[in-house]
Amino acid sequence: MSVAKLERLLNLTALLLDTPRPLSAEQIREQLAAYAEDRAAFRRTFERDKDELRQMGIPLVVEPVPGTDPPVDGYRIPREEYALRDPGLEADELAALHLAASAVQVEGVSATAGLLKLGGLVGSQTGSFDVHVAPLPADANLPRLFAAVSARRPVRFRYRDADRTVDPYRLEFQRGRWYLSGYDHSRADERNFRLDRIEGDVEVTDLPPFEPPSTAVPGQARGAWELGAEPPVRARVRIEGPGARWAVQHLGPDAVVDEDDDGVVVELPVTNRAAFRSFVLSFLEHAEVLEPPELRADVVAWLEALA
Amino acid sequence: MSAETSAARLQRLLAMVPWIAAHDGPTLDEVCQRFDLTREQLAADLEVVWLVGLPPYTPDALIDVVQEGERVWIHYADVFAQPQRLTPDQAVALLSAGASVLALGGAEPDGALARGVRKLAEVLGVDADQVLDVDLGGSDPQVLATLRQAVREHRRVHLDYWSYGRDTRTERDVDPYVIHAEGGALYLLAHCHRAGGERRFRVDRINRAELLEETFEPPAEHGPTVVFQADDDDPRVTLRLAPEARWVLDAYPVEAHRDLPDGGVEVTLAIGEEQWLARLLVNLGPAAEVVDAPEPLATAGQRAARRVLARYR
Repeated sequence: MSVAKLERLLNLTALLLDTPRPLSAEQIREQLAAYAEDRAAFRRTFERDKDELRQMGIPLVVEPVPGTDPPVDGYRIPREEYALRDPGLEADELAALHLAASAVQVEGVSATAGLLKLGGLVGSQTGSFDVHVAPLPADANLPRLFAAVSARRPVRFRYRDADRTVDPYRLEFQRGRWYLSGYDHSRADERNFRLDRIEGDVEVTDLPPFEPPSTAVPGQARGAWELGAEPPVRARVRIEGPGARWAVQHLGPDAVVDEDDDGVVVELPVTNRAAFRSFVLSFLEHAEVLEPPELRADVVAWLEALA
Repeated sequence: MSAETSAARLQRLLAMVPWIAAHDGPTLDEVCQRFDLTREQLAADLEVVWLVGLPPYTPDALIDVVQEGERVWIHYADVFAQPQRLTPDQAVALLSAGASVLALGGAEPDGALARGVRKLAEVLGVDADQVLDVDLGGSDPQVLATLRQAVREHRRVHLDYWSYGRDTRTERDVDPYVIHAEGGALYLLAHCHRAGGERRFRVDRINRAELLEETFEPPAEHGPTVVFQADDDDPRVTLRLAPEARWVLDAYPVEAHRDLPDGGVEVTLAIGEEQWLARLLVNLGPAAEVVDAPEPLATAGQRAARRVLARYR
């Protein structure tokens, strides 16, 4: 960026932050000597400058200039939407965030720009964290969904060939993927969605903000068998052998309903039967569906077709 | 400086000006360190700040930069008294990083990172625990803590391990080199004394880890932290997959594949362990057909299905 352009963008930001009322393009051209006298040239540069500020997330709003009829577009940056409230981070807290951001990155997203706003890069550099974490995958919808979760704005998106309207509660990274959990208005129930299966862009709606659930948001589904729209059933599975410890670790102690020296019995909520079968069969002969009979029969039929 | 994008330089200035203005004459070196600048870059940036202000842009309406020796002050920058808010992607990046490191354990529950994440979440107007969670891979916190200590102190560890590929439980001593997180799981790369070579272990399949007294000299170089590498002498198996099983292409290191007219795909995989292939075939069921495989792999799925069925009869 040329110094002239950098200076112009800084002065434009200052002007629009300082003004209490929206300024028309013409007023901006008159104030800022950096803009060309020629109206057409000014327009082109001004359009690009606005785009550039918006791409940085600067809330440049368009409002009618008071007292104009017909209304003329005016521009300003509302300070209350622009300014970061000082989080009051101590040096050790900023250093800890810096270290964490060096150790764990989200692909294609710069945490550094965020750290600079919080007070800059403090403390140790990369290489001092003892677990090597591969960058978390990015998802085009992740920032927009986070904004919607924060602002409690319902969102709309297409998922499995259906349009959904969802109150977005929570984002989770699990098993190498990003998930959204929330209240699905179209299904009138809480649902989990895989971000990489959302088709196209998420739309943040103008619907009124939702009330967050009064109880804690239920944790992300422990497995794919909970990610489905089938009528829910509770299944009991006996797991033995070398993988039993892993299963308890993975499913959490709450899932265990019985335990002996050889193995455990776990109870799982199932809304996706195919995923459930796949999970149980991953233990091969070390696992058996005990209940309900319909899921047991489903596994048997599947195996008979193979044997 | 040429590598820096224009937006990045503008963003940095919008963060740096409020910070300098809020502090009473920080040193140039401190500003450079915090804002990731060379002294030349900082000088160039301050030159620009001189030219910024408000109408009518007379000297008294411009931001004032005062440099005295090694210290710098910024005055009359009220319009830039606060930095810009975090954008959603910056917020996601920082909260994800914080949540990840906290979830790995070992940090004090009320330590600097936990406090920093809480303060950050507060200005973002969210409850960090409620809105975002990162699970890098389930593992026993005690096992993970032991392994991390062993890696740091170059100590040998004794493992009780579930070998998924062979479906057996084994005991072994290993020299742990590095722990890495990838694709939703944690792995330990170590020299295994039982196998006599470098091996990779899924941390969530380690039932127990015991720190031993023996220390080891970590090698100057170790294998890459990639999850699966085929050996040249691993047998190859070719499967014909129905369209609904195309996910195998994304999930496993497929060596070769050929699209089929029906939307399915033919894939060739290196098979390290028969039980691994058996699981895949039992899981895929009618969506997979073995086209080419050496015995006994050709019948691995069928034999496994019969063993499982025996439980139900």
